[in-house]
Amino acid sequence: MLGKLKKGEKCRILDISRIDLLVRRRLLDLGITEGTEVCIKCYMPFGGPIMVESCGQCIGIRRVEAVQIEVERL
Amino acid sequence: MDIALIGNPNTGKTSLFNNLTGSYEYVGNWSGVTVEKKVGQFKNKKDKLIDLPGIYSLNPLSKDEGVVTQFLLSEHVDKMINILDASQLERNLHLTIQLLEYGKPVVIGLNMVDVALKRGLQIEPNHLSNQIGIPLTPVIARTGKGCDLLAEAVTSERMSEPNARIVNYGIEIEEAILRFEQLLDNKSSRSARWLALQMFEGNQYVKKYVKNYIESEKLDQFLVEIKDTVKRSTGVSIDQFIFQKRKETIDQIMADAYIKREQIKTPLSEKIDAIVTNKILGLPIFFLLMYLMFMLTFDWLGFPLSDLLDAFITGTLSNTIENLLNAAGASAFIHSLILDGIVAGVGGVLVFVPQIFILFFFISLLEDSGYMARVALVMDRLMEAVGLNGKAFIPMMIGFGCNVPGIMAARTIETPKERLLTILLTPLMSCSARLPVYALFVGAFFVQQKAFIVLSLYILGIVVALVLAKLFSSTILKGETSFFVIELPPYRLPQFQALWRSTWDKGKGFVKKAGTFIFAGSVFIWLLSYIGPGGTDVALDDSYLAAIGGFIAPLFEPIGFNTWQAGASLITGFLAKEAIISTMNIIYFAPDEASLQGLLSDYFTPLAGYSFMVFILLYIPCLATVATIYKETGSKKWTAFSMGYALIIAYLLALIIYQGGRLLGFM
Repeated sequence: MLGKLKKGEKCRILDISRIDLLVRRRLLDLGITEGTEVCIKCYMPFGGPIMVESCGQCIGIRRVEAVQIEVERL
Repeated sequence: MDIALIGNPNTGKTSLFNNLTGSYEYVGNWSGVTVEKKVGQFKNKKDKLIDLPGIYSLNPLSKDEGVVTQFLLSEHVDKMINILDASQLERNLHLTIQLLEYGKPVVIGLNMVDVALKRGLQIEPNHLSNQIGIPLTPVIARTGKGCDLLAEAVTSERMSEPNARIVNYGIEIEEAILRFEQLLDNKSSRSARWLALQMFEGNQYVKKYVKNYIESEKLDQFLVEIKDTVKRSTGVSIDQFIFQKRKETIDQIMADAYIKREQIKTPLSEKIDAIVTNKILGLPIFFLLMYLMFMLTFDWLGFPLSDLLDAFITGTLSNTIENLLNAAGASAFIHSLILDGIVAGVGGVLVFVPQIFILFFFISLLEDSGYMARVALVMDRLMEAVGLNGKAFIPMMIGFGCNVPGIMAARTIETPKERLLTILLTPLMSCSARLPVYALFVGAFFVQQKAFIVLSLYILGIVVALVLAKLFSSTILKGETSFFVIELPPYRLPQFQALWRSTWDKGKGFVKKAGTFIFAGSVFIWLLSYIGPGGTDVALDDSYLAAIGGFIAPLFEPIGFNTWQAGASLITGFLAKEAIISTMNIIYFAPDEASLQGLLSDYFTPLAGYSFMVFILLYIPCLATVATIYKETGSKKWTAFSMGYALIIAYLLALIIYQGGRLLGFM
């Protein structure tokens, strides 16, 4: 799961179908979908959002959503 | 010709707009700076250019994105400029395909080629143009390089129709499009192919539009059928399938137009991010920056500058005007109107221009550098706890400058509940017009700790907003899931010129208001203080102003300021917060700021002064803000609510502070 990886680790997204439709739409808008490679940039404290990088662009998403994204470590 | 400017958020549309039209619109480095359409004229004085909010797709999620879809459905457009971010070409092209399907001629402006190069991506503009089949011009939107060529390309008369069939969606969908064309029967002037595809993707705006031409039941049945067909034959939902087909086409385009090279080095942006969004340092850095901003505005730089200006207005300027009036032999009436009314009223507000410009400079710096989106990220956890999301913090930060653009900025928030909540709470952010009131009172009562006292008011505003957010979101605005996905743009070194323009653009509103609204208000207030039931040139306590102010003044006894002067200035404060200062300058006949501060201590104790500032901070959104709240919510009920709850909260807090303070032995 994305959200269980450590800072600096890279992974490929396998499945995003479990997250909320709105969030999935927005991630799709930003070019993030199955097959996309992402890198964990940082975790905000107190269970706050995480920042991931994909194709040179940084995106913030909440941890609740991140743990619903299936990934494989690269 | 009407030419629309369309592109992803934060790709430099507004910069390009400014360069193409020679006008100046507000730019910033965060997604959602432009939330409504703006029209300008090309330098050739013939064609019109329409700047629209940034979108990822024509199928909108938030209200500002809906502006674009609505525009394409209901207004006339001859051509389009599609601005692309070269460093994010892949996702930008999803929008390009939808624009091609719309069927109007499109010209591409390829921006941020330099950013792409730094990331090791080289683009062949000619190949890209050939692959997509439409003209393309590389531009640098920030500096204006290439803009003349782009203007030429788009305003030239001849231009072929674009290839609306750039993507082949496979037999099922292509057939469905044909059937839809028959259903529509040329009743709409929009491309049937585009309308159909947008509806298949689930675009509600387009569906509503099509229902004007096709019976609702018939249309729903048609849509359900095609959705089922696609699901059965492909195994994925129709919107996902459309997305995949577009992606295949884009991959082909990219394969030809892109040359991948070694990335040169870690981008600076990532190095900065490692610090400012650091797990431990993130929040402290944000608060430190805020603290620096306030110290500079109120203490180190702003106050001395305001004092200098005050000395000039009340000294040299007033003396010159007085001499001129004497030389012209003006009557006592004119004399009093100009010196006691206009100079006191308008001058009293203008004195604070330096502080307000410093504040606006910092807000512009936050916006232009790219830090704003990081603030949203850093604050999200806190905002989530009170039923909002991190993006709601951006309108609130903008609200520190002026509540009106702050409330407009709430359009970028996707969920209606969180957007409404943000609109209702942004007026609690202490805007720049409230700043003169604080400056005056801290100068009179809290000289030693002025920056600290002012900072306490700003923080109070934020705290009250957060507490109320929690309260409202768990009572009257319950339900609906929260939503937070944010794009973090790369940092840019702010250019001084852009910063200055942005600061000036915000600040000029304040100066302009002083010259118009406050000017007229000052004359009116002076007149009310000059005449009374007993005739003209009455003693101040017998004037109409005293009668009106005195009528409501007893209400403020429990919170420490039962004077008709306070009552009168609170009424004018509804029109514009800085009018409070004008009114006080006029009422107290104070020749300058310093003597007004001296006079104030006769009417207020320090505790009552603080209570007054708290009341001013919260008591009501100004007239312009109320109008904006009404425009943005479209609801009289919520507009009335925004005024009502503010009054109650302001009174309660002022009461607690004043009575509590007295119990504790403060004066």
